[in-house]
Amino acid sequence: MAAPGSHTRRRAWPLLFLAVLMFHSLAIYLFTRGFLLTRTELDVHSHRDDRIGISPGCSSWPPPAVDRLVIVVLDALRFDFVAPSTFFQERQPWMDKLQVLQRLAADEKTSARIFKALADPPTTSLQRLKALTTGGLPTFIDVGNSFGAPAIVEDNIMHQFAKNGKRVVMMGDDTWIQLYPEHFNKSYPYPSFNVKDLDTVDNGVIEHLLPSLHKNDWDVLIAHFLGVDHAGHIFGVDSTPMIQKLEQYNRILEDVIDTLKSLSTSGGPHENTLLLVMGDHGQTLNGDHGGGTAEEVETSLFAWSPKTPPNAVLSVLGKNLCNADLHGKEVCVSTMQQLDFAVTIAALLGIPFPFGSIGRVNPELYALSAGTWDNQQIGANDCTQQNDLEAWMRRYAEALCINCWQVKRYIDRYSATSVIGFRAEDLNHVADLYSKAQANWSSVLRSTCPVETSSQDELKECANKECTSSALRLQIDAYSDFLESFAKLARSAWTEFDLWLMGIGLSVMILSVSTQACMLVKLNIDQISEKERASSSFIPKNFFAFALVAIRAASFLSNSYILAEGRVANFLLATSCIASVWHSATKGKFIIEEFVFLLLNIFIRFGIEFGMSKQISGSIISNDHPVSIICGLFGSSFCSDLMEIFPIISLTLVAYIILKCISYAISHRFLKYSVMSGSILSYIFIAIHWASESTLLSHTKATRETGISLAPRLVYTIGGLSLAISAFYRLFGSTDHLKMNERITSLSAVMLCSWSPTILILLGRQGPFVALICMTIAWCIIKLQQKNQRELKLDKGIHAADSVSVTQWSFLAVCLFYLTGHWCTFDGLRYGAAFIGFDHFHIIRQGLLLSIDTFGVSHILPVLSLPFIAICWYNSASKNSKVNDATVTRLIQVLLMYGLITSITTTLTIICVTIQRRHLMVWGLFAPKYVFDAIGLLLTDLLVVLASIYYS
Amino acid sequence: MGDEATQVSASSAVAVHALCFAGIVAAHQLSGRGMLVSNPAYALRLLVVFEAPLVIAVFSLLRRNPKRCSFLKAAARGLLGLPIGAFLNAFGAIVLGAPIGIKYWAATTYWSLLMSLFTFVPAACVFGASKVNWQAVLSHSIYCGSTDSVDYMISAPAHGAVIGAWLGAWPMPLDWERPWQEWPISVTYGSVAGHLIGMAISLALVVTHKRRGRAKAD
Repeated sequence: MAAPGSHTRRRAWPLLFLAVLMFHSLAIYLFTRGFLLTRTELDVHSHRDDRIGISPGCSSWPPPAVDRLVIVVLDALRFDFVAPSTFFQERQPWMDKLQVLQRLAADEKTSARIFKALADPPTTSLQRLKALTTGGLPTFIDVGNSFGAPAIVEDNIMHQFAKNGKRVVMMGDDTWIQLYPEHFNKSYPYPSFNVKDLDTVDNGVIEHLLPSLHKNDWDVLIAHFLGVDHAGHIFGVDSTPMIQKLEQYNRILEDVIDTLKSLSTSGGPHENTLLLVMGDHGQTLNGDHGGGTAEEVETSLFAWSPKTPPNAVLSVLGKNLCNADLHGKEVCVSTMQQLDFAVTIAALLGIPFPFGSIGRVNPELYALSAGTWDNQQIGANDCTQQNDLEAWMRRYAEALCINCWQVKRYIDRYSATSVIGFRAEDLNHVADLYSKAQANWSSVLRSTCPVETSSQDELKECANKECTSSALRLQIDAYSDFLESFAKLARSAWTEFDLWLMGIGLSVMILSVSTQACMLVKLNIDQISEKERASSSFIPKNFFAFALVAIRAASFLSNSYILAEGRVANFLLATSCIASVWHSATKGKFIIEEFVFLLLNIFIRFGIEFGMSKQISGSIISNDHPVSIICGLFGSSFCSDLMEIFPIISLTLVAYIILKCISYAISHRFLKYSVMSGSILSYIFIAIHWASESTLLSHTKATRETGISLAPRLVYTIGGLSLAISAFYRLFGSTDHLKMNERITSLSAVMLCSWSPTILILLGRQGPFVALICMTIAWCIIKLQQKNQRELKLDKGIHAADSVSVTQWSFLAVCLFYLTGHWCTFDGLRYGAAFIGFDHFHIIRQGLLLSIDTFGVSHILPVLSLPFIAICWYNSASKNSKVNDATVTRLIQVLLMYGLITSITTTLTIICVTIQRRHLMVWGLFAPKYVFDAIGLLLTDLLVVLASIYYS
Repeated sequence: MGDEATQVSASSAVAVHALCFAGIVAAHQLSGRGMLVSNPAYALRLLVVFEAPLVIAVFSLLRRNPKRCSFLKAAARGLLGLPIGAFLNAFGAIVLGAPIGIKYWAATTYWSLLMSLFTFVPAACVFGASKVNWQAVLSHSIYCGSTDSVDYMISAPAHGAVIGAWLGAWPMPLDWERPWQEWPISVTYGSVAGHLIGMAISLALVVTHKRRGRAKAD
């Protein structure tokens, strides 16, 4: 009766693992939908001669209203740094420092205005600069062709400046150069990463700002100061350095404004210049930003026009909040969305609006420019005379007309091409608003040209004027409704977390983890013998393994620990090994494998630290690093030669060890020789590939081409053939005469030999070194487990899998991930690996190679080699049926344990990103960590399913 | 019954730990507050200089088989155990991630010597090379089964120091950028704290042991 039950149980486990995979997929899908905000980047650009679908009355892009533009960006400028303290409940030490801006806003109401500018999260400088220049809403994942590259592909005002002859000079934060590498006529960038440095960037800007104002070789000047941002990060808002920095800015701005005034006389170079002093985002009192709190999204924008527009501008500005400042003068404040910045600047400078801009031309900022009040009488011969306000309103309405047309075509293009579009009903509503606005605009155009032009009746003329004004106002409102409606829709789709979906996803994940744990406990209860349960080491061992996993999972709650994840895993792995040494010492035994394990931990640790040093781009390896010390001793030429030869020597050693393992592990003759010859060929081709890349030897062109391209492809082909052979052997090979131990050993060895050459060549020259460490530590874990089994001396040979070994296996996998130069950010992906053997990009092929490189040594090999710690090495001479059953059960336990460990860590990652979703580093750190863990979990589950089918 | 155990009274145990504690306090007073943070190598050196004579002298007095093992021999064993223990502690620290660099060598060396004084030197003075005794003192079962006070006095502070050092590594990866997060400062705080807690635990165990012994005598 044992055989049928065993067979039935054997078939059930793959289905259970598959169910776990489905649960995890569902949980991750739901959570991802709620958490990762996705928007498709379009690489379409606006052009000056765009005509398609244009409506009457919007014959072209708006004409320029200002000649030159000065943009002073004060990074992380809070609203209360600019607005008078009387606008707030309580005066704070950092308020009222930028006096020159407040004086202008009070004394020159018609040409100066303070705005509260509202940014959209995430409020990091990179995202905000991107949003300001594109007029869009950047999200964590902007799906586009330039994934991973900082340069902006979407249309933006910087691109339009360059294409339309506007010369741009930039000074300050070097983020601009990363985003717009080829758009500046002149640039003076300064590195922005050292937040402790309050002055380097600012001093550079000061050096170039005033001299540039006197020059005529630019149209747009951008000066980006960073002192307020850095002072906030290090000292906080309420601090002496912050106040000093604000006072310094006040003096600088006084000089700028005085210079502009002196040069803005009639015919002067700044007669028609617009000055903007603005922040890209706010900051909390602690100096943090990146999330979406009110303090972080509220910033300030001050606009001043040396040329004064007519007094009618007040009727455009008049409805806003006004208050008396400290000197008793009235100061008024407006509110605008940063979303509107790009399109407003484009309208003022007379360039095409960026294609992806969904903002509205801000009426107040538009009105402040005197150029928008110059009468542009279209069809003057047909229409009656208009006053200033009507003329401005007509001009503004025309700008809104083209504004809406451009947003509408963006909506149509986006809906047609994006991966995730908007809901149809929302689109219909927005389209209706647009249609009504355009229809109304046509009627307004007709009504402003009365048929009876010859009539001079005063009453009719007066009525006509009133009718025109109200019609224009209604038209402006209709356009604004359309734009605001779509902006609201876009925000809900792109910048707001769906907490409901996140909660459900997290709940499903916790439920699946609980299910896995229950399955494991039940399996252990069924299988653990009384003798083993009575063993004094059983409960402490399981508790110890659980504690290690819990510590590692809990470490994800800190961003610092996520950055140091590799070191944390190595620390815990070393801790488990030291505990093992200590346990042996209490019994008076000293096991060589444990000391080898400790030594290899040191190698892993240095390798991880070396990999982490590459994360900091441009940093020099510390003089304390042992690699630098060794290179210093022997000379750099010796080191470079060693770097060339060492991989091939390591590869030879790896090949020798693997071939020896094959001859021992695989008992089937055909399988053994086919896998052995395939492996030999693979390693030869890898050596040829690396030799042909080397500069030590000179090659003919044909030989080099063969080594670089053909050899890797042959390695991939041999790997694929080995997998096919192992699958055929699994399906059709006779298994009756084999013991379960031998069978699983054979299958595992074949699987490893199939995968390892491909992974080695993708890892590059570091591959053999990593492989040696990996194999030796795995050997230590296996040998230690053998000794542990021998100590228990269980006659029946039935006992639970060793949870400490599985935990060590899992930690080793994480260490190998970091040891091979990976880390959990998208710029940590080793893109070069995707092009080994191929020159041209193909999304599926290169994606597959990149995936194997990223997850091969940390997920694929560890899961597929788990059987080595499941096999009952002891009592192999016992009765066949009992040993077989025990081996299969242990294999299931080991797979279940490994899956549970991965599930626990991923669940904690999900909890962590849920808690930290408004953290400064959520998009730079926590979200990539979540993506890597989610993909890793699904891959692990998939491999567990395949392993349970393949090995059982 | 081959070993002639020296029975230590509770008051003697208090005196032993008080002397060890006094060494730590004296070193701290001499180096001044905050010296461990500003100049860890110097502060650790003072700790080693003050602690080494006290630990070796006190635990040599508690040696096993005093008739066959002179005080000087026990002290010599302690001095020999000091570098060996330091080497093992340094090795363990490096495995766990302690930095290796020219500027860290001095601090690591002194830290290892201090840890050796907390862990290996007392056992070396008392037991010498006796394998059975070393195994017993390493094991956690000693807290349940041992009848000898000296075992508590050696085991508990040693285990406390090791566990404290391990826990003391906790702040090091964090980005608080405090000076005390550097190696080996936070680990030293942890090991000293663990060592002192271990002393307290061993005193409690000694008192409990005495009371249990007195009950049996009745």
